Amino acid sequence: MMAAEEDIKQKISDRFPFLQEKITVKRKRRIFLDVNMEHFKEVLQFAIKDLNFTFLCTIAGLDEMDKFSLMYQLDDGSGIMLNIRTSISREDPVLDSITPIFPNADIYEREMVDLFGIKVKGLPKGERYPLPDDWPAGQYPLRKDWKSEILDKKEII
Amino acid sequence: MGVLSKIINWSRLKSPWVLHFNTGACNACDIEIVAALTPRYDLERFGVQLKATPRHADILLCSGPVTRQVKDRLCRIYEQMPEPKFVVAVGTCACSGGIFSGCYNIKGGIDMVIPVSAYIPGCPASPKALMDGIVKLLKSLEEK
Amino acid sequence: MSEEFRVPIGPQHPALKEPASFSIALKGEKIIGVDVRLGYNHRGIEKACEERTYVQDVYLVERICGICSHAHSTCFVQAVEEIAQIEVPKRALYIRTLIAELERIHSHLLWLGVAAHEIGFDTLLMFTWRDREIVMDILAELTGNRVNYGINAIGGVRRDIGKDKAPEILKKMDVLEDRTKYYIEVATQETTVVNRLSGVGKITKDVALKLGAVGPTARASGIARDVRKYDPYAAYGELSFDLITDDHNDVYGRTIVRVKELMQSYKMIRQILKDMPDGPIAVKAPRKIPAGEAVSRYEAPRGELMHYVKANGGDKPDRVKVRTPTLANIQAVKMMLREMYLADVPIIVAAIDPCFSCTDRLIEIKDLDKKDAQVIDWQSLRKYSIDWYRDRGIDFKK
Repeated sequence: MMAAEEDIKQKISDRFPFLQEKITVKRKRRIFLDVNMEHFKEVLQFAIKDLNFTFLCTIAGLDEMDKFSLMYQLDDGSGIMLNIRTSISREDPVLDSITPIFPNADIYEREMVDLFGIKVKGLPKGERYPLPDDWPAGQYPLRKDWKSEILDKKEII
Repeated sequence: MGVLSKIINWSRLKSPWVLHFNTGACNACDIEIVAALTPRYDLERFGVQLKATPRHADILLCSGPVTRQVKDRLCRIYEQMPEPKFVVAVGTCACSGGIFSGCYNIKGGIDMVIPVSAYIPGCPASPKALMDGIVKLLKSLEEK
Repeated sequence: MSEEFRVPIGPQHPALKEPASFSIALKGEKIIGVDVRLGYNHRGIEKACEERTYVQDVYLVERICGICSHAHSTCFVQAVEEIAQIEVPKRALYIRTLIAELERIHSHLLWLGVAAHEIGFDTLLMFTWRDREIVMDILAELTGNRVNYGINAIGGVRRDIGKDKAPEILKKMDVLEDRTKYYIEVATQETTVVNRLSGVGKITKDVALKLGAVGPTARASGIARDVRKYDPYAAYGELSFDLITDDHNDVYGRTIVRVKELMQSYKMIRQILKDMPDGPIAVKAPRKIPAGEAVSRYEAPRGELMHYVKANGGDKPDRVKVRTPTLANIQAVKMMLREMYLADVPIIVAAIDPCFSCTDRLIEIKDLDKKDAQVIDWQSLRKYSIDWYRDRGIDFKK
């Protein structure tokens, strides 16, 4: 029933044996994969070139308290979604932009910058998103330890 | 009330000019405002006309909660309207911040920033509620 | 030699603190580059979702957008139901699908009216919005509200559809189908409309794919993707309908796709009413959702909507990430505007059916030849656009 999904899982395992335990076919059309940042680029390229995951749907950031996780959500045109999760340090969060591969990553990476305070290297020049220009620096709303009361105290009306 | 004021009041009652401004909401109220101008409800038969500039408007129809970005522009628009002017908060968000009350980018309802003359609740405020609200506002002007 | 470039300036002060939503660079009469500034409507909903319970969040996400409210609430509950492994009764899935298609109809009719307004064809705005009221009546009758239906619950739907409602709905579908046939005629045979919309805002299939375009915007460039077909949800797996694509790659194509999708929606609603199974409309859902995560996709009227939800065993979600179709499409708009005239801006932007209120947007226009910049409002740009085309023989008032 999930032949295509299992096939994809097998191909990834064959190419990257250390990922074997890290791939889950959650249900039809949903594959989740955990990879550390060191191998992320390689795995991403494989997914694009060999598995046809050529469409970037979005990038989701998560604050997991001991690290930031990034979920790159890709689609292969047949409805199968591959979620590649990787993580970066919370103390010094830096990411390489994937806009050279996926130009539309632009806006999703900007969200990371504004809402999590992640630095994205190689992000092309452009307007911030989604926070306003007068948003106080150093305030990252989607971090778990951020509460809007902090903002009220810092605001000068 | 002097003769001139009576004439101005009468013309305002018969044909209020209205400016619609969305302060950053989900658009549901905005669509209901536009729907109120379409044939089914036809606000225009009450003489209500939608104007594009604050300088010609008697009534400011505001929808949406006030976000940080929009606060200054809202004030500026209000300042540009000639006296006497009236502000109508359309929809629950404009009245009080609504379901977005407490969200970090929301300051609250319209009256956090400018004085409001009439509140039309609803999520969204239906065209019928809108008409009712505007008629009530006009009636209260008549009484002054 | 470029003629004197004069654009009517709106009533607002040019030196406003609020950033212009569109920054357009002109050389001569053509647009060379566009920058888009979003976040105007940023409310902080994703954070608020973490601070509220799942049940509260169903109502909160519904109000992300006042046009596709059901899309958001359904997409959200689907993700939660997947994490909690809740099996939603078939009847509930059919009801969700019914409301979904009704929402698509009202949204596409709304869009037709808005697009008509952008090109100065206000008669069409009045016609389509009058027809839209038929759908609003059905939605109000079935759910109690014209917008923000509140029909979804985690585990099913909150209200049943009485069997007595079906004949009335079917009658109205017939009326709407008739009217839509007229709109298809107008779109395809009225030379003024065809001329106005053709060749405008073109992007080819590979550019559209690379930029992540979705929905009717993508389908108008020949991309055969529709979540209802390739990642079916609710009752779509059991319905028979066509995936509409077009290969004009332009605003005209985006119009054709939407009017044809309307016809498919009428077809689907008839099937739903005929085949709706009996049974319960909801199962009880736990207040606390076990740890897990899910990605839910939904074909909103504007395109693919995605909700990612992560649960941690509590009664509040750990993370809710929403990717709206407009965010996906807005990146393609920058490409669509290249080499176009300033007068084409309103309809090109409108053609992606953006989920933000266009009427209060400011546009900054930078004339690279004259080295000056002006800020105007959307109304002024629309008026300029309609006048510009009228001077070239395209006049809807005739």
